[in-house]
Amino acid sequence: MTIEANDLEHYYGTELILKGISLSIKSDSFTVIVGESGSGKTTLLSVLSTLLRPTSGSIRYDDKNIYNIDNIDIFRRNSIGFVFQFHYLISYLSLRENISLAVLDKYKHSVDPLMNQLGISHLTKRYSDEVSGGERQRAAIARALINRPKIVFADEPTGNLDTKNAIGVYELFRQFRNEGIGFVVASHDKKILEYADCIIEMEDGHVKQITQR
Amino acid sequence: MVIALKALSKNKFKTTLIFISMVISIMAIFLISAIADGVVGMYSAMLKTDGDIVVTQKGVADTFFSDINRSIGQSIAKIQGVKSISSLVLGAAPVNKLPIVGIYGVSQNRFNSYKLKSGHYPKAGEVLLGYKIYQTLNQPSFVNISKKIFRVSGTFESKIGFEDGGVVMNIDEAGDIFHKNASILLVSVKNIQDGLSITKKINAISNEIEAKTADSFIDSYNQFKIIKTSSDVISILALTMGVIGIVSMMSMVVNDRKAEFGIMRSIGLSSWGIINELLIETIIIAIVAYIVAFGASELVLDLIKQVDKFQGYINGEITFALALKVGIVSLLMALLGAFMPAIYASRIDPMSLIQRGES
Ligand SMILES: Nc1ncnc2c1ncn2[C@@H]1O[C@H](COP(=O)(O)OP(=O)(O)OP(=O)(O)O)[C@@H](O)[C@H]1O
Ligand SMILES: [Mg+2]
Repeated sequence: MTIEANDLEHYYGTELILKGISLSIKSDSFTVIVGESGSGKTTLLSVLSTLLRPTSGSIRYDDKNIYNIDNIDIFRRNSIGFVFQFHYLISYLSLRENISLAVLDKYKHSVDPLMNQLGISHLTKRYSDEVSGGERQRAAIARALINRPKIVFADEPTGNLDTKNAIGVYELFRQFRNEGIGFVVASHDKKILEYADCIIEMEDGHVKQITQR
Repeated sequence: MVIALKALSKNKFKTTLIFISMVISIMAIFLISAIADGVVGMYSAMLKTDGDIVVTQKGVADTFFSDINRSIGQSIAKIQGVKSISSLVLGAAPVNKLPIVGIYGVSQNRFNSYKLKSGHYPKAGEVLLGYKIYQTLNQPSFVNISKKIFRVSGTFESKIGFEDGGVVMNIDEAGDIFHKNASILLVSVKNIQDGLSITKKINAISNEIEAKTADSFIDSYNQFKIIKTSSDVISILALTMGVIGIVSMMSMVVNDRKAEFGIMRSIGLSSWGIINELLIETIIIAIVAYIVAFGASELVLDLIKQVDKFQGYINGEITFALALKVGIVSLLMALLGAFMPAIYASRIDPMSLIQRGES
């Protein structure tokens, strides 16, 4: 799958945040978005991932214009995963319930194997405030991966983790990339660049440079 | 369902507030309706005892103000199909220390509709007391009604609060107190199907009276309409207050949980799924609130029955029909209250929900 963005513009109020962005991302690659704080990484990621409707411009997943998709919720559930900087696990649900929240029937049986694969199988009944930051983030990653999406968007997924845990997350991403799931990750961490197939550099609402590896 | 329950227990404080506002609204509806139905029901039951047809003064809608001559009964008695006719003077007067008591002056043939508990039916200068008022007045041997002293001939028991808290005497003596010959005549018929045709025949006798079948009399009785309308208006107000309470609390809940709903949307739960989730949560509260309100209302109605001051005149009962009606109203309240905030929660771009806060 290819994601094509065409002339994206987005305003917050009267402020133009994305200033005409066009790019194309392959869904089987590891793409990293870098740039200074405030350059628009989160905004771009939200727009690319269908969570935020841009003021203008279009986004195509293959040949489908996402604003013409009848049921965007189902599309998201089937094809897109998200990992945020804050884990955003729902605090009153156990890790297992969080991961299962939107699971498709056909993947119900893979909740436990996936938790096992991510090294959190002993924590199924725990709540997010009863586990470590790294464990929380792995649970959030499991939630993003459970329906075998084509692509996972991650916004500073390691922003709250130490180096060791951060590298653990990148390794996980690479492992699943090798299984055919694409990743688009916004990050400040230089370490992640070692894993990237493609680097998009943002500057003040523009794409400054795209580097393919 | 599990998720809804967990979400509710997470938001205990607001859940409790929603719960309390629903219990109060539902109780208000239960109590006002039960009491109104009770008053109407008791009075209807009284009229319907041996009364298939009610005869009143023409154009006087209130049984208390109606004034007719009971000699008209002789003409009515001749109509084929009429089984019996009893006459009543209905009034209210102070009795001893009680400021207002229902007084029933009845013709001899109606005495046996009052079930004796002690003593005998009243002769001249005597009255029969309902058991409730007998107790309230500390089992008197004599009572003072409108400055006249009557001997207490005995007591009777009645499920109808107005009677159990009332005084029965001979119609002539009641007529002296209230200055009339009779308030109403109650006609019972041999065959209830003939009710309507007999009613017509009675109406043909004189244009000073008006006969109606008991049912249509009750339907058109002005006092009942006033009571029912008041109770309906209060019920609607209570419903509205309940809905407003839920809307405002649910809006706060939605606001608190924005990030949560943003996450749910982002992982592919549908807008409808989220609306559904909130509706289920509110309905769970509504069901529990309904059960609690039902129990509490029964308790309050029971307490009211035991308050001497009300003389047993306020006697509400929660019938199955009322319970069902209020049940439906409670669900409606929950749905109306939760729907708007839920729609609101489901409409927003997931990202703008998420950016607001950390879960
Ligand atoms: N909801 C919002 N309302 C108004 N302005 C916003 C909103 N979200 C972001 N902005 C502004 O848009 C600009 C880009 O924000 P964005 O979050 O996309 O930057 P970023 O590159 O992700 O920064 P960081 O590296 O700090 O996460 C910033 O100037 C920010 O202040
Ligand atoms: Mg950001």
